[in-house]
Amino acid sequence: MSSSQAVGDLVSQPYKYGFVTDIETEKIAKGLSEDVVRLISSKKEEPAFLLEFRLRAYRQWLQMQEPDWAALGYPPIDYQDVVYYAAPKQQQKKASLDEVDPKLLETFDKLGIPLSEQKRLSNVAVDAVFDSVSIATTYKEKLAEHGVIFCSISEAVKDHPELIERYLGTVVPSNDNYFAALNSAVFSDGSFVFIPKGVECPMELSTYFRINSGDTGQFERTLIVAEQGASVSYLEGCTAPMFDTNQLHAAVVELVVLEDASIKYSTVQNWYAGDENGVGGIYNFVTKRGQCRGDRSKISWTQVETGSAITWKYPSCVLQGADSVGEFYSVALTNNKQQADTGTKMIHVGPRTRSTIVSKGISAGRSANSYRGLVQIGPKAVGARNYSQCDSMLIGDQAAANTYPYIRSQQPQASVEHEASTCRISEDQLFYLQSRGIGFEEAVSMMVSGFCRDVFNQLPMEFAAEADKLLALKLEGSVG
Amino acid sequence: MVASTSTRQLWVEPWLAALPAPAGELGPVQQRGRAALARTPLPAARAEEWRFTDLSLLAQLPVASVAAAVERPLPAPQPGALRLHWNGREDPLQGVELPAGLQALTPTDLAQGLGHTLAATGCEQHWPVELNQACAERVLALRVASRQRVNLELISAAGEGLQPLRLLLLLEEKAELDLSQLVSAEAAGLHSLVVEVHLARSARLQHGLVAFGRSDAALLAHLAIEQEPESQVSLSQVVAGWGLARLEPRVVQVDGGAHTILRGLQVVDGQQIADTHSQLEFRGPEGQLDQLHKAVAAGQGRSVFNGAVRVPREAQRTNAAQLSRTLLLSDRARIDTKPELEIVADDVKCAHGATVSSLQTDELFYLQSRGIGADQAAGLLQRAFCEEVLRDLPAAARAWCPLERLLEARA
Amino acid sequence: MIRPDAPVLLEIRDLHARVEDKAILKGVNLTIRAGEIHAVMGRNGSGKSTLSKVLAGHPAYTVTGGSVTYRGDNLLELDPEQRARIGVFLGFQYPVEIPGVSNLEFLRVATNARRTEQGHEELDTFAFEDLVRERLKVVQMDPAFLDRSVNEGFSGGEKKRNEILQMALLEPLVAILDETDSGLDIDALRIVAGGVNQLANADNATLLITHYQRLLDAITPDYVHVMAAGRILRTGGKELALELEQRGYDWVDQELAALAAEVA
Ligand SMILES: Nc1ncnc2c1ncn2[C@@H]1O[C@H](COP(=O)(O)OP(=O)(O)OP(=O)(O)O)[C@@H](O)[C@H]1O
Ligand SMILES: [Mg+2]
Repeated sequence: MSSSQAVGDLVSQPYKYGFVTDIETEKIAKGLSEDVVRLISSKKEEPAFLLEFRLRAYRQWLQMQEPDWAALGYPPIDYQDVVYYAAPKQQQKKASLDEVDPKLLETFDKLGIPLSEQKRLSNVAVDAVFDSVSIATTYKEKLAEHGVIFCSISEAVKDHPELIERYLGTVVPSNDNYFAALNSAVFSDGSFVFIPKGVECPMELSTYFRINSGDTGQFERTLIVAEQGASVSYLEGCTAPMFDTNQLHAAVVELVVLEDASIKYSTVQNWYAGDENGVGGIYNFVTKRGQCRGDRSKISWTQVETGSAITWKYPSCVLQGADSVGEFYSVALTNNKQQADTGTKMIHVGPRTRSTIVSKGISAGRSANSYRGLVQIGPKAVGARNYSQCDSMLIGDQAAANTYPYIRSQQPQASVEHEASTCRISEDQLFYLQSRGIGFEEAVSMMVSGFCRDVFNQLPMEFAAEADKLLALKLEGSVG
Repeated sequence: MVASTSTRQLWVEPWLAALPAPAGELGPVQQRGRAALARTPLPAARAEEWRFTDLSLLAQLPVASVAAAVERPLPAPQPGALRLHWNGREDPLQGVELPAGLQALTPTDLAQGLGHTLAATGCEQHWPVELNQACAERVLALRVASRQRVNLELISAAGEGLQPLRLLLLLEEKAELDLSQLVSAEAAGLHSLVVEVHLARSARLQHGLVAFGRSDAALLAHLAIEQEPESQVSLSQVVAGWGLARLEPRVVQVDGGAHTILRGLQVVDGQQIADTHSQLEFRGPEGQLDQLHKAVAAGQGRSVFNGAVRVPREAQRTNAAQLSRTLLLSDRARIDTKPELEIVADDVKCAHGATVSSLQTDELFYLQSRGIGADQAAGLLQRAFCEEVLRDLPAAARAWCPLERLLEARA
Repeated sequence: MIRPDAPVLLEIRDLHARVEDKAILKGVNLTIRAGEIHAVMGRNGSGKSTLSKVLAGHPAYTVTGGSVTYRGDNLLELDPEQRARIGVFLGFQYPVEIPGVSNLEFLRVATNARRTEQGHEELDTFAFEDLVRERLKVVQMDPAFLDRSVNEGFSGGEKKRNEILQMALLEPLVAILDETDSGLDIDALRIVAGGVNQLANADNATLLITHYQRLLDAITPDYVHVMAAGRILRTGGKELALELEQRGYDWVDQELAALAAEVA
């Protein structure tokens, strides 16, 4: 067997998070209508402004056309065949962890996210979201001492309605795109983070999303605000059970960064990807955008995308403030019949804004992995700079790697530089490592993680090793 | 779209109606082109391939048959070269003795060959191609015989009106052709160029298109090339000064194993738009591509580049490199660049890069510190920027001094 | 050092090998005992690197006949990594660059793989750093090279020193050094040769592939072999190398012709 074939076999690995938690769930009936939007809002006891926001989005959504992307193939989604609200029964949010259904705690334990006092990670606060609701948030009190708000968005609506009203939908307007409109109408839960002026968040924040139901859509909404001089590092992780139907996941993430503030947003996405024939898996249609509103503000997106049947996501930075900085570091691994169309948009508005894009795509099996990016330099962005690097690694001769880097510039005193390359794991490199006693699997995984190093280096320390392991897992399998 | 229908009503329909009835060797082709134009609306910004390219200028152009131009003096033909004056209406071969190795195609060959490469490169239904088909009255169809070497110069300098040019070239095994082509608009008008070239094994083509326009003239050009293995193509286009120039070089390496060099230089100023959509498809293993696209955008000019490279599964061991470099000289100019790399083969080398910037301040400073004035230094650097493309033109095209005229077009 | 009673480490018998459809090795015979230093010389393209890659188990080469035993066991049935772990080392003529993979990490994983095979415990990052710093001295390499990617952007000479560093860490029993001297400046040659001498002992053996006497001035071989057309045409002592330096390889053609006549 040729080594490239062997490498291909290596990338096939069973999904480890495919179990379903047997728990009684409260679901509303399938289908979407104005009444459903009202029902969701009333179940969550929302203030009027939010119901208004949802209804407006719903009406906009009705007017919009589902995008039809040439590069992504999937059968039409029946939006009336989706459940828009599901929550584990009895789950009014519990005051203390002891009251949370042990089955849920167990689920998160099994996923490697222990929530209980004794076992929880020492320097990471976690918001655990199960289907449509947040079931627990750790370290809330400790964070509150610093003035940091970290809670589910539903709680924030109740406890800090003025902040929600001020910021929700200001970065991603409800009519931004088809899926953002849908999300704005029916979003269920997600995380809210507020870092007040001058505060450096004392620990990593993280949200762990778990889809459990088979016919439920996931519509999380995340909003992070960093006031003047504040900074925070935030990480999200995602898994889902294995079903042979597809589930829709249409999240919206909004970041607002004021003067001298910074947000580092990391994602390790491992939704169920479907089986080797492309049956089942998550449709991951996500809108993520941040605005650097203040001077010298900074947003850094880091993503490790390994799951989902289809991923469609372009975490973006609108660089308004002078000297603001946007970064995008991405690893996307696709295998079997997965499709990923991901990249970023760097919109340079203010003077001397800078952006860096590093994208590493690994395509194996019969998958399709596309980088699609936009670097736009507006007329006022004097002295702006962008550097982009997009590398693809191909494993086997049936996987596709596409690169579509758009560059638009209207500013002569700006420079944009883009580089892209394609590589594979060469037989000679493999042999070199093997001839030093390093086994085949380890050699492959060393090279893949070497390929991704520039991105992994950007992950918070606690998670860099996780990401490496996740990739190694994906690469685990039989060497034939 | 409203804009396109109105534009179409403004000129396409009356124009179609005013064309003489289909006749001559291209009669059936004309019929087909006219039917297509009557059916298809003018491309609009809705379509991805036309997103940045506004065709509304076309409605303002005179589209009656082209008038003869007062030609600018050109240097004498290269030694051994055949120079033809070609305006798409008269037979450029009339009274010309063809050199050894160059033959006009027989009607049978023509019937077989015409449209073949357009279809192979997937552009036979493109709007600019249909436009050419609708009105071209003649096709210049030539064959370069096996192992022969021919040097050809085609001069198309036109006065006011519509100049439809259609060229079909068949290069037999090991045939070699140097083709220098000048399209020059000396008055308002629309210039439509459709070129098809088929290269048999080990044939070689060096093609240089130098196109000088004016703000009230448009150029729509499709260059469709089919390459058999071991053939070599060097395709360079230099366009400057057009109100609208849309170029589509499209190359297919039918069984891979061929070598393609693509060069492009656009110069835009004023309200001009230059748009190049190139595409290279490798349909077999071991093909090579070396592409360099450059643009200089000044004034409120707009430069668009879209470079597609497709490497399907059968194209193992392809080696492709694409580089796009743009000089943005004014804060009202705009550029839109989009490389498109699609790869489904693992053992390939594909690299691409893009840069957009103004002249490098340290380079300018270096020249200035040697006593060269800022303007002159900028001129020198612009020249150097362009020269990298110009030097790959065939000798005759280079001798037409495009650099001087380029900078003139900028002024 | 020749000791007739020393144990045989490597025994190559009538080895034939091809790459794609081209037969390259056509009957190589060679016996290497502990404590010995062998030099293999021969024209470009005579098959020296092929022999070394076949011994290390490169997948592009197919063995079509003959045998190779290492300390009595069949070497050819082992995966390349297994060969390395039990003590066969190949210093490459052209070491490949592996972007992204940290040199330090690579050396540590390799060293631990060898140690595990030998029944030693694995070294943690700290213990390994100590070891590697000590071994760096053998090749007088700057520790800064540890933080770079494997061979990436290394100069020709730096790559070769990195090879010897790996040898110093893996402590092989049979080290095959394929033109480790080419591309080295005079100082580096001295350093590399010094390293090889330092690592050579009574229990291991070295097979040097080289074109130049100057390496053999620094490392004295016990045997010199001349390879031609895929086999070892002649074997002698260190004088043979000096003779080659004077006479070149023309005589090889005559001997090959004679051989061909014999066969016919
Ligand atoms: N992968 C390969 N494909 C085709 N031919 C090969 C391959 N590897 C080696 N060869 C050929 O086998 C022959 C022996 O090559 P080898 O590298 O073993 O020579 P060498 O003795 O090491 O030469 P040098 O002194 O130049 O290093 C050469 O003719 C070479 O071209
Ligand atoms: Mg060699």
